Amino acid sequence: MFQWRDFWHSRGKEDADLEKELRAHLDLEAEERQESGTSPTEARYAARRAFGNTTLVKEDVRALSPWVWLEIVIQDARYGLRQLRRSPGFTIVAVLTLALGIGANTAIFTLVHAILLKSLPVSHPEQLYNLGDDRECCAISGSQDSFSLFSYPLYQEIRDHAPEFSEIAAFRSHLLNVSVRRSRDNGFAQPFRAQYVSGNYFTLFGVGAFAGRALAPSDDEPGAATVAVMSYRAWQARFASDPSVVGGTLTVDRQPVTIVGVTSPSFFGENLTGDPAELWFALASEPALNQIGSHLNQPDEYWLYTIGRLGPGVRPGQAQARIKSEIQQWIASRPGRSGYRRDELEKLNFSLTPANGGIQNLQFYYADALHFLAAVSAFVLLIACANIANLLLARRTASRLQIAVRVALGASRARLVRQTLTEGVLLALFGGAAGVLLAFAGTRAILLLAFHGADYVPVDPSPSLPVLLFALAVSVLTGVIFSMAPAWVGSHTRPLESLRGAGRSLTESSTLPQKTLLVLQATLSLVLLVGAGLATESLRRLENQQFGFQTRGRLMVKVDSDLAGYAPERLPTLYQELQLHLSQIPGVLSASLSLNSPMEGSNWGEPVSIAGHPTQPGAQQGSSLSSVSAHYFETIGARLVRGRFIDERDTPTSRHVAVINEAFARKYLPNEDPLGQHFGIGDAVHAGDYEIVGIVGDIKYFDARSAANVMAFLPLMQAREDNSNIFHEIQLLVAGSPQNMQAILQRTLASVDPNLTVIRCITFDDQLSRNFNSDRLVARLTTLYGVLALILACVGLYGVAAYTVARRTSEIGIRMALGAPRGTIIRMMLRVAMSPIGLGLLIGLPLALGGGHAIARGLYGVKSYDPFVLGTAVFVLCTSSIIAAVIPARRAASIDPIQALRIE
Amino acid sequence: MTDQAADRIDLLQGTLDMLILRTLRFGPAHGHAIAKHIQRTSDEVLQVEHGSLYPALHRLERKGWIASKWEKAKDRNREFKYYRLTPGGKKHLAAQESKWRQIAAAIARVMSPVQDV
Repeated sequence: MFQWRDFWHSRGKEDADLEKELRAHLDLEAEERQESGTSPTEARYAARRAFGNTTLVKEDVRALSPWVWLEIVIQDARYGLRQLRRSPGFTIVAVLTLALGIGANTAIFTLVHAILLKSLPVSHPEQLYNLGDDRECCAISGSQDSFSLFSYPLYQEIRDHAPEFSEIAAFRSHLLNVSVRRSRDNGFAQPFRAQYVSGNYFTLFGVGAFAGRALAPSDDEPGAATVAVMSYRAWQARFASDPSVVGGTLTVDRQPVTIVGVTSPSFFGENLTGDPAELWFALASEPALNQIGSHLNQPDEYWLYTIGRLGPGVRPGQAQARIKSEIQQWIASRPGRSGYRRDELEKLNFSLTPANGGIQNLQFYYADALHFLAAVSAFVLLIACANIANLLLARRTASRLQIAVRVALGASRARLVRQTLTEGVLLALFGGAAGVLLAFAGTRAILLLAFHGADYVPVDPSPSLPVLLFALAVSVLTGVIFSMAPAWVGSHTRPLESLRGAGRSLTESSTLPQKTLLVLQATLSLVLLVGAGLATESLRRLENQQFGFQTRGRLMVKVDSDLAGYAPERLPTLYQELQLHLSQIPGVLSASLSLNSPMEGSNWGEPVSIAGHPTQPGAQQGSSLSSVSAHYFETIGARLVRGRFIDERDTPTSRHVAVINEAFARKYLPNEDPLGQHFGIGDAVHAGDYEIVGIVGDIKYFDARSAANVMAFLPLMQAREDNSNIFHEIQLLVAGSPQNMQAILQRTLASVDPNLTVIRCITFDDQLSRNFNSDRLVARLTTLYGVLALILACVGLYGVAAYTVARRTSEIGIRMALGAPRGTIIRMMLRVAMSPIGLGLLIGLPLALGGGHAIARGLYGVKSYDPFVLGTAVFVLCTSSIIAAVIPARRAASIDPIQALRIE
Repeated sequence: MTDQAADRIDLLQGTLDMLILRTLRFGPAHGHAIAKHIQRTSDEVLQVEHGSLYPALHRLERKGWIASKWEKAKDRNREFKYYRLTPGGKKHLAAQESKWRQIAAAIARVMSPVQDV
């Protein structure tokens, strides 16, 4: 182990030892000379002369030490520190600038690391592979574009016939909400995020239990008792780490469930997401908990993701081919090929993807945004670098004399360069340290932006070791980059010229590197500003588009309404009673019930057949569907195009009707009157099921970026398909601001049926804005970074302009003495400052266009060459740089010629 | 400089190392004595620059060919740093010496071929 104290101690001892040795030598030499008759003083001098330069000998001996490089570094660092202490103003500005630049990068890297790079906190995550690429979601009963959802029987088949994998676990593709009540509490049920997993799920990940036990394969056998494992965080946050929860019983959706254990604290499931799973059930419990519409034993219902642990030495490609052919064989053996056409099955798209980061939904969703932000923050750092380089250049020019003297005295250029670099890296390290602090605060803010609406995000914002290493590496690199220009200029100092020119300074060439840096700053700033403008404009258009419904004063309420045990004939009475009670809540103007709410993330799609319009063989025609109660369209503020909305006339016994949207009419019933026509869900047998009684304007339900789906609405009272007659959502139109309704809603629901649980109550506006989390993250951060870049560039410009004025004071004095008017001086100084900006704009515009083209895929409703955005960016950059340049220019014009000339 | 200086030969680094090791074969000595011995035995032809003597001594010590110890001189009431040859140094010296002899003989053959025949 290397000990600094011992190191310094031994170095000191060696030095003293050498000193003593040399003194003994000199004394002996002097004594010998004295013995041969020389006077004592003369003898001592002679001895010294004969020996030569003792200091040089000492240095040569010291240079033999293997630690000599360290000593030089420390020497340079001390010198650098002294230099920095001597100009605190410069140091503070530089450290702040660097802190902003490095902090911006570190904050983004924290996110990149947490979301894109970090592996799941499980054992050997690198052996894990997704069977599929997780691009499909939820439950599908037809062909998949990219095969990633499995049915339970298919999963069992694959699991038992895949020797390439040591273990394959399956789990529901998305979390579900359940209502949980602890029997001894008399309060309302609480909503929990839950997940169904195969019995080997925890074995696959190698994750143990913090308390109790994890789920085991025996829990996943038919007829096993319904048990669950709770997440450490839920146990802590919801039950105050009460040990009696483990082994106790909870009522989950009316079923008693034993909690057998609590997971280890770091485990959040297989999917990094806001509000991760809190309860894990075995797949075998699904039919018991999900009495209506259980998927478990339906071979053609695809709803499970799978992750496998590849056995030692197995190549993923080999496993992929095997699994793919097994899937194809299994589907081919199903009656009706499970909804696949023969050619679709042959061309089945299946790939094995690394699952070290778990399910990649979030990564898929945020990867583009994070890469873009990483590029943007790198730009900011480059601009900061240019700024510091400029400041250092100015300082270096000021200390040109000192350097000239050092070069003249024989300082090696390598040493001078090394010293400049050391000083730069030192400065960057200070900036980096401050930047890490800034990033720590910034990451929290960014996480709030990125996961807007989530109660809990399993991403730790505090800097981890990789993040600190990243910041260190970036700091050192930054220091080297911004020291390069000053080091180059410094090492090319010609001592003679500098010494001769001391005091007089008219050489323009020395400002060339500074101007080049200004051009670079202007270029990068313009690119950033254009990027920020495009992202902001895209977000604005996304948020302000026509969604087909109104948001003001509207609430959507998600209800856990597993109405098991309700006879279907009792539902209409329940619904009528609910709607009546809801509309009697003070302030509620209108209330409705439905299967889905708009832009809330759910979708129900089915193939449809139109009466009198037989489907072409091989062609699929589908539609999104929802079931809604009376007043639904009035409550959400939809537009009636023709006919009527769904209303009280639509009862279980009345004629079965439907309302379609304009997209439906355009696609399936063009050039004819849709009113009075019939369609049905499924094949032609059902084509006469529903009569179209109304057409509404398109309402966006799922994807804000694409046009509204083709969609049909059925009366909630009449819907017959599966469990589509079970409501999950309530919509309310309230007078005034829609807030704090959750408690009164919960009471109202409980007064109708105590098992109805409010899972979430949110305004339409909030729900909409959650759809744009990544867009908002990008727009806000790019704007922030763009403004940062602009400020840095302006400070840089100001610095260079002010420095130019200071350097040319005497020249300006002469000009004014000769009668140049103030205006001419201002114009002259502005021209000097603005020419690099102009050049930067010229270079920056095509770059900005190129950059805009590169991000065009992520933009909505705005072209990458949007003239308004480009114009604004140019205008903002020009205006702020003129302001930055005009201050020193005015100062130049107010120089008193007499004083200016007297200075020299 | 003087005529005497013109006769002096600057020592190459490896040569100085060899001469120092050779000098220490006669027993421990301090830096001053080593320089004096080399000068005396070479009839003042080889001048040891002190500027290179001490770095050379420390370099040899780092390599482990010589070791040092502070001791009182027999004739003077003063401590000197005495260097002595280590077994490793002896081996190194032997190798250097034989190499030097080969080179010297080879050079001699080139310089006076007639005598040799």
